[in-house]
Amino acid sequence: MTLTATRSGRGRAARSAPSARWRSRKVQGWLYAAPTAVIVGVLFIAPLVLVGWMSLNRWPLLGRATFNAPANYVKIGENPLFVDAVFFTLKYTAITTVLLSGVALGLALLVQERRPGIAFFRTAFFLPGAVGFAAAGLLFYGMLNNDFGPIDPMLRTLGLIDEPIKWIGTPNMALFSTITLVLWRFAGFNMLILLTGLQAIPNEVYEAARSDGANRRQIFTKITLPLLRPTLALMLILSITGSLLAFDQFFVFTNGGPDNSTVSMVMVVYRDAFFRFDLGGAAALSVVLLVALVGLNSLMMRRLR
Amino acid sequence: MRRRLAGISLIGVLALTAAACGSGGGGGGTQPADGPVTITMWTRAATQTQSERLVAAYNKSHKNQVKLTVIPTDNYQPRIAAAAGAKQLPDVFAADVIFVPNYTSQGLFLDVTDRIAALPYKDKLAPSHMKLGTLENRQYTLPHTLDLSVWFWNKDLYEKAGLDPEKGPKTLKEFAEQATTVQEKLGKDGKVHGTFFGGNCGGCYVFTFWPSVWASGAQVMDPEGTSSLNDQQAMTDVFNIWRGLYEKKVTGPTAKEEQGPTWTGFFPKGEIGVMPMPSTTLGLMPADMKIGVTPIAGPDGGESTFVGGDSVGISSTTKNADAAWEFLSWTVSDEAQVEVMAKNKDVLARTDLASNKYSSEDPRVVLINSLVAKGQTPYALRFGQTYNDPQGPWLRLAREAVFGDAAKVTQLNADVTKSLQQQ
Amino acid sequence: MSRYLTLSALAVLFLFPLVWSGYASLEEPSNYLEMARFGEGIDTYATNSVLVSAMTVGGTLVVSALGGYGFARFDFPGKNLLFLATLAILMVPYATILIPLYVLLGYIGLQNSLVGLSLVFVMFQLPFALFMMRNAFEAIPRELEEAALVDGCGTFRAFSRILLQAVRPALITVGLFAFLASWNDFFAPLILLNDGASFTLPVAVVSMTQHTFGAIDYGMLQAGVMVMAIPCLILFIVLQRHYVRGFMSGALRG
Repeated sequence: MTLTATRSGRGRAARSAPSARWRSRKVQGWLYAAPTAVIVGVLFIAPLVLVGWMSLNRWPLLGRATFNAPANYVKIGENPLFVDAVFFTLKYTAITTVLLSGVALGLALLVQERRPGIAFFRTAFFLPGAVGFAAAGLLFYGMLNNDFGPIDPMLRTLGLIDEPIKWIGTPNMALFSTITLVLWRFAGFNMLILLTGLQAIPNEVYEAARSDGANRRQIFTKITLPLLRPTLALMLILSITGSLLAFDQFFVFTNGGPDNSTVSMVMVVYRDAFFRFDLGGAAALSVVLLVALVGLNSLMMRRLR
Repeated sequence: MRRRLAGISLIGVLALTAAACGSGGGGGGTQPADGPVTITMWTRAATQTQSERLVAAYNKSHKNQVKLTVIPTDNYQPRIAAAAGAKQLPDVFAADVIFVPNYTSQGLFLDVTDRIAALPYKDKLAPSHMKLGTLENRQYTLPHTLDLSVWFWNKDLYEKAGLDPEKGPKTLKEFAEQATTVQEKLGKDGKVHGTFFGGNCGGCYVFTFWPSVWASGAQVMDPEGTSSLNDQQAMTDVFNIWRGLYEKKVTGPTAKEEQGPTWTGFFPKGEIGVMPMPSTTLGLMPADMKIGVTPIAGPDGGESTFVGGDSVGISSTTKNADAAWEFLSWTVSDEAQVEVMAKNKDVLARTDLASNKYSSEDPRVVLINSLVAKGQTPYALRFGQTYNDPQGPWLRLAREAVFGDAAKVTQLNADVTKSLQQQ
Repeated sequence: MSRYLTLSALAVLFLFPLVWSGYASLEEPSNYLEMARFGEGIDTYATNSVLVSAMTVGGTLVVSALGGYGFARFDFPGKNLLFLATLAILMVPYATILIPLYVLLGYIGLQNSLVGLSLVFVMFQLPFALFMMRNAFEAIPRELEEAALVDGCGTFRAFSRILLQAVRPALITVGLFAFLASWNDFFAPLILLNDGASFTLPVAVVSMTQHTFGAIDYGMLQAGVMVMAIPCLILFIVLQRHYVRGFMSGALRG
């Protein structure tokens, strides 16, 4: 894992003494990175600073902001919706990450070898990624509708159910259906990530293990998994970060229901900003989320590397 | 070859960037006041048809022009919030009437009290829309579109169920009896249901249940919109009748989960006997469907309606207030109301035009127009976040009352009041 | 054989929602007609979407290829900081940064413009793109670059003539994801564009499917999902070999 950029170029720097060439390479490096720096600086850091400033103010839609720090931060703890959302989001993240890595790994193992027709299956699993997430949410809402969706009648014809299934009617079913949607949409992408890791394991390693008499299970646990560790780590970090920021799936699909059982943290941020027009409060929540995520990610990178 | 491809794509990108730069900019709104002015207007997709017709008719007959932008309904509020935050509101924008008090208190609309006072028909404008557009005796909005809640009944299903197809319910109790009859006679196949409602949709509850409370002479909030009366007997009676319908499976099975996206979709398929519907959907019903329309009644009679729809105002950041007002005042003129709205069977923003040369064509339209003066639109500064927001306290209250533990209503009602009073 | 049975069953599960949506949308072809006439006309929105996607793909490729090379092959002060700042883009709630972005685009004169919107998309794509491109450049043997330098090429010529070829699969992968994100995104164009004539397809599709009190027109929705998805599906299938290779070529390997 090189999620930080320390490794590269070090060898070169050691080789050539601090000379004109080295200085010129420093300048060149900056030139290459300049567009990135401009985009990140102007379109990310600057708005972020504004978010930080907003979080210290009472920020009305129109009119003058008034400094009120730290009121926006203090009231976070008094917001029961947000406190519940933290627990729900953590639960959702844990379940999604476990299932997503399991499904993605299973798919990757199934399609890793080049065989006739495998390309079709790879594409089939990856294809849902082409549908926008919001559209996918609405599509599932329609598909799981008891009255005109196709799923209930099919299950009924097969004799599997008598009563309509309340796909998003109970808290557990709503969570289940949402996770299904997320698996459908993202399993293929994660499969591809893992596939890169699988392909990187040299065939000779497998052959050596086989000639030593290892069975398939041993090969998987003793060779595949350990060698896949960096790739799995990358997938985990992406999945955990993405799940902690989950928004569209709940906003479009369950609407936070039933009875506020599927309200994620970002939904609370969104509600504060856009329904309650509390821009300062929403900014404070965002800052807290960002700090927590940066902390968590640096921790994960250190542990998983 | 490959190298050339990469080169070409790079050049292409640069060219595209350059070309697209030309199409940017714009925004308008800085023309001198004497020449013809183009004003910008936003509306939500739900009431797009009416706005488009009004704008088209205005543009055809006036030197000034209106440029209309339609924004997805569910995202209208975020869009307005973002635009206001960046001081980029259009010259004119419409808004769901129940959000207007909040927008007004945030200072989004321009004060048009004196301009309204100069209108000859200033006392004939839809009263509930006008009430919601008033803050501390200053007026900020005009009625734009009206959408009323009424009961629709399916005459064919009534006939098949042995009910009189020409007699809709006169009380909420009759409504429940007739729905039950349809369910018992025709509901065996699981397709047809007696009635339906949006059981996981806060806005649907207020739109379809509250008129029954008003019809029985009671209220759901105090006039200031700061104290909830949803734990009082009148509301409880209405909840109980609906609760009974759900428990007897007279409503469609998905009523409890319905978040709103499909709640009006079942009636036009001929699957529902009788249910509350938005009046604007009447024009969208299948042409061969025989539909009766009647006002929403209380448990023992009376009649009322939730006067929904949009109000429209001039944004407080506009530079074209005069041109904007010229357009807005035209939209409520006799010409626009009769030749644009009435002609297309829309509900009129003026009570004095309720019977006009087009209204006699469809008695149902006359009925709906006549309800404008009788109906109500509840006033509350914190309406949206209390009642419409799926995370707001009202939806929990309504769901406990209809599906869950009705004993919790008292406590939840206190939560509703707390949300209404939030600063 | 049992592997193929499992694969086929899974493929059915993954493809079913798309197939159903396509089938259901064709039950009432009038949906497509109605959609074509909506608002400014579907061609306006499609043109906007194509423009935004093209600018996003182009911008992302240029910025991330240059940046990826810089990060892979050079050392300069602030390098780690910039890289971490770029990764932090992944960690900020999307919805909240949009209002400040909107204000900011106003300052630089790019409010309500497709260019401004594309730049925002480029920013959101950068963590993935820069990461991919940096790793792709790192995977190239140094000898290849040095040979070019010895031939008298400056680093930029070595970069543009030789190295870009070597990372082509990664470029295609980055481009594809930039396309998908900008083509499908709903929220950024909704907030950042003021004018109906400059809306992109997702905003138009959501507009045309929503009626009063949250009612959704499912026929229109399915037709809309199809119109939006078909270009993506075609690109996906056409580029299949490349993006798989892009991932494979070590682009995502740590």
